[in-house]
Amino acid sequence: MLNDLNTLMQIVGKEVVRTVLGLIGVFIVVLGNAIVLTWLERKVAGHIQRRIGPKEVGPYGIIQSFADSVKLLGKELLTPANVDRPLYFLAPSLIFVPVLVSFVVIPFDGFLQVKDINVGILVILAFSSLTVLSILIAGWSSANKYSLIGSVRSVSQNIAYEIPLLLSLLSVVFMTNSLSLRDIAEAQKGLWFVFYQPVAFLVFFVAGVAETNRTPFDLPEAESELVAGFHTEYSGMRFSLFFLAEYTNMFIVSAIAVTFFLGSYQGPVLPGVVWFFIKTYALVFILLWFRWTFPRVRFDQLLNFSWKILIPVSFLNLLVTGGILKL
Amino acid sequence: MALETRVIEEFRSELRSVDINEAPYDKQGYHLAIEARTGNLQNIVDFFDKREFYIVDLFCVDYQDYLELVYFFNTHRELCRIKVTLKLDPEKPVAPTISNIYPMASWYEREVHEFFGVYFEGHPNLTYLFLHDGIDHYPLRKKHVPVPDEDKKLLNSFKPQEEEDCFFINLGPQHPSTHGVLRVVLKMDGEYIISADPVLGYLHRMHEKMAEKKSYAQFLPNPARMDYPGALLFNLAHVETVEKLCGIEVPERAKYIRTITCELNRIASHLLWLGSFPADLGGLTPFLYAFDDRENILDILEDVTGSRLTYCYFRFGGLYNDINEERFVSATKRFVERMRKRFDMYDKLITGNVIFINRITNIGIMEQAMIRKYGASGPFTRSTGIPFDMRKVDPYAAYGSIDFEIPTGHIGDNMDRYRVRMKEMEISLNIIEEGIKKLPQGPFKAEKVPKKLKPPKGDIYNAVESTRGETGVYIVSDESDTPYRMRWRVPSFSNLMTFPYLAQGVLIADAIATLGSYDIVVPEMDR
Amino acid sequence: MTFGLACCAIEMMCTSMARFDIARFGAEVFRPSPRQADLMIVSGTVTKKMAPTLVTLYEQMPSPKWVIAMGNCAISGGPFVFEGQYNLVEGVDLLVPVDVYVPGCPPRPEGLLEGLMKLEEKITGTRRFPVPEPKW
Repeated sequence: MLNDLNTLMQIVGKEVVRTVLGLIGVFIVVLGNAIVLTWLERKVAGHIQRRIGPKEVGPYGIIQSFADSVKLLGKELLTPANVDRPLYFLAPSLIFVPVLVSFVVIPFDGFLQVKDINVGILVILAFSSLTVLSILIAGWSSANKYSLIGSVRSVSQNIAYEIPLLLSLLSVVFMTNSLSLRDIAEAQKGLWFVFYQPVAFLVFFVAGVAETNRTPFDLPEAESELVAGFHTEYSGMRFSLFFLAEYTNMFIVSAIAVTFFLGSYQGPVLPGVVWFFIKTYALVFILLWFRWTFPRVRFDQLLNFSWKILIPVSFLNLLVTGGILKL
Repeated sequence: MALETRVIEEFRSELRSVDINEAPYDKQGYHLAIEARTGNLQNIVDFFDKREFYIVDLFCVDYQDYLELVYFFNTHRELCRIKVTLKLDPEKPVAPTISNIYPMASWYEREVHEFFGVYFEGHPNLTYLFLHDGIDHYPLRKKHVPVPDEDKKLLNSFKPQEEEDCFFINLGPQHPSTHGVLRVVLKMDGEYIISADPVLGYLHRMHEKMAEKKSYAQFLPNPARMDYPGALLFNLAHVETVEKLCGIEVPERAKYIRTITCELNRIASHLLWLGSFPADLGGLTPFLYAFDDRENILDILEDVTGSRLTYCYFRFGGLYNDINEERFVSATKRFVERMRKRFDMYDKLITGNVIFINRITNIGIMEQAMIRKYGASGPFTRSTGIPFDMRKVDPYAAYGSIDFEIPTGHIGDNMDRYRVRMKEMEISLNIIEEGIKKLPQGPFKAEKVPKKLKPPKGDIYNAVESTRGETGVYIVSDESDTPYRMRWRVPSFSNLMTFPYLAQGVLIADAIATLGSYDIVVPEMDR
Repeated sequence: MTFGLACCAIEMMCTSMARFDIARFGAEVFRPSPRQADLMIVSGTVTKKMAPTLVTLYEQMPSPKWVIAMGNCAISGGPFVFEGQYNLVEGVDLLVPVDVYVPGCPPRPEGLLEGLMKLEEKITGTRRFPVPEPKW
């Protein structure tokens, strides 16, 4: 087996095999993560709300979300009469691309990384902006007013929050002088960056919640206002792709936060990949906690918060960081 | 000098040509009766508007020979209920509109129009509000009167006119935040609402028509289905009105039990609202906490009444059966104690949340002066600072012998409405505690109440303070065992009328928060 | 999917709350959009004005789909049927095919849960819990 692998590597080159294997791994992680997260979300919601949550399907209801995804596969794919067909079909697949690409550059361990690109964080940020595009397409093509309002909200929200997101990460980049995620992770062997950059961490986390459209910033799909927001008209598998993307985005935001601020895979005793997942899921848990505790903010409050508070604060933080490093 | 005597004097000096008569309040539930004519109706209404009366109700009674429009007025300062009637020709009923004086009348006039076929001259928008497309007669007329063709055009006549720079959104009838089947047509400019136009009738269940077909006792389960969160209070409104009409005396013990169970029901209803209001703002968890407390009340009430939701516990002259005193009292005391502690938790979970505070403070401000014009009532009125509560103004059941305060707000925004309801729950707990302390022994039912009630001829209006406001029942009796006409004045209906006014020019998220703060119940509005 | 119409809607909400916790069976996700729903619980009176909306909503749901008629009103019109009634659809089965009827006015939350069990029995052919023996 190993010999075969070695010969294969010699024939097609080490990098290609690594990339292919990595992509397969990424697929497994993405799907597995979505299933685990839906289950986790329902369980966490249940316990926050003084009830048990799923428990009948499988032990502790673990198989529940798996059963649900099988059900979604079997549902009819409805296409409403007056949708913009090409765009309507495109949107769900388009939302999945940036999600997969982001996984490529995240280091799960010193070794476990599909490809270490020296502008890794730029790749993630550039591709994550594509999510907005597909939400806009979904909302526009659905020919539904609720969807349209939802997608328009989503666009202005993401534009507003991308800036503080970027600025807060920049202050870490200032310290490491590298855009590669691996280098940043390695730089935290001693003290985590969250202790150097607490403000940047907070700004990043808040902006990250907004980027993933989670409560209290879940305006694009505000249930009590817009029914289901931009995916109101999507059913079956197409809907579940949006769903999958949402949960994977949550994971990615938490993973970036871990990589940049919480020492990535660094930790004692346990192997790095375990540490990475523990830290990431701890952050994901906080995201879930937010959702089931907070009400939703209003649209103008949301934008004001970004433009009037987060962006100035992160600029100031960047200035101070630059000043201290210069001295 | 009582207000009614002052009104009589002023009325006689100002409007010489109109008769004003005093009515026995104990028997009929109103102090003064005025018979208007088509010519002077506007002047009479104007007279009451100048003296800061609010309009309670407007409806029609079909007496076969003539149709009678009935207007009720009252003040927020003290109880002075005035009935103004206007006789109309049944063949061609036309009346002047009063919606130019009281904007609230416009909805009531639409209702009268579709159920009786009365035309209102000068009405800005005389379209159908309740009924469906296929209706071919005026339902509440005694004889079968077909709808003329020109009227059929008005059925569901809402046709959105697309204009530039705005679009229409149908909020409902199936929408997560309308709590049932209310439909609001919103004219939007981006995220801002230009105008809101509610469409009712998706749950019109013909209660008023049913009342004319069933005997007084057979109608008993119906009120509970009108306002299901506060079923006992509607049950009480019906029972008290019939008791007053027939002159049945209720024993003290029954009165106290009525008061206690009603207050328990009021808390349950407020808890339902407390859950759904944050849910409208996007926070789902308080819903489950509130329901947790609510289940405790349901347990107590289920033990007493036998059902979980649509109680039918009060009977004419008393109760269906006596409480198991030991079990009831200890369970209620346990609940009161538990509930007091929970308020701190709610404070932390909801009131202490910055997002929540920012979402509801200074949103949906209702001016005190407008309350009167729209005839709003209940916590909605009290949040603007008017301490008007039927329990205090016109005590019924055992409220007269229990001391309690009325919480009021300051500016009438969503936050005030929230605070008033929270405070009201605390006060209800006090009332329950005092009621249990004073609970007398004795019979729980009046003796010699005939199985088949045949009240004397006449009419009566009686109101109680339900969870949402003033709930009034107007009964015309013709000495038979079924009411000739039964009219329900429901608070949600008149409260909702203020929504188009408050929703103008605000963000859709704010409008939904405001709608949530109304605590509307759709079957109650639609009847 | 949430399709609360009247009184029964409150009991439907109770079913998903802490005490009865419909989530145990993985059924707590009340989707607001019909496109993402499997089951329509018609909880309450269906009026003639509401009927077209109800049919539209049913048709918007992707198959396979099921309907539970909850409460007497949805089953037959319940207490609101009388001679000369002008605004009531006497039973939701006149509009859409119904799989399970849950009687009561309103049914208790346990009743709705039992209805769900019945539906599961109908789909899978196996029953999750043994049927309780009547005590009398």
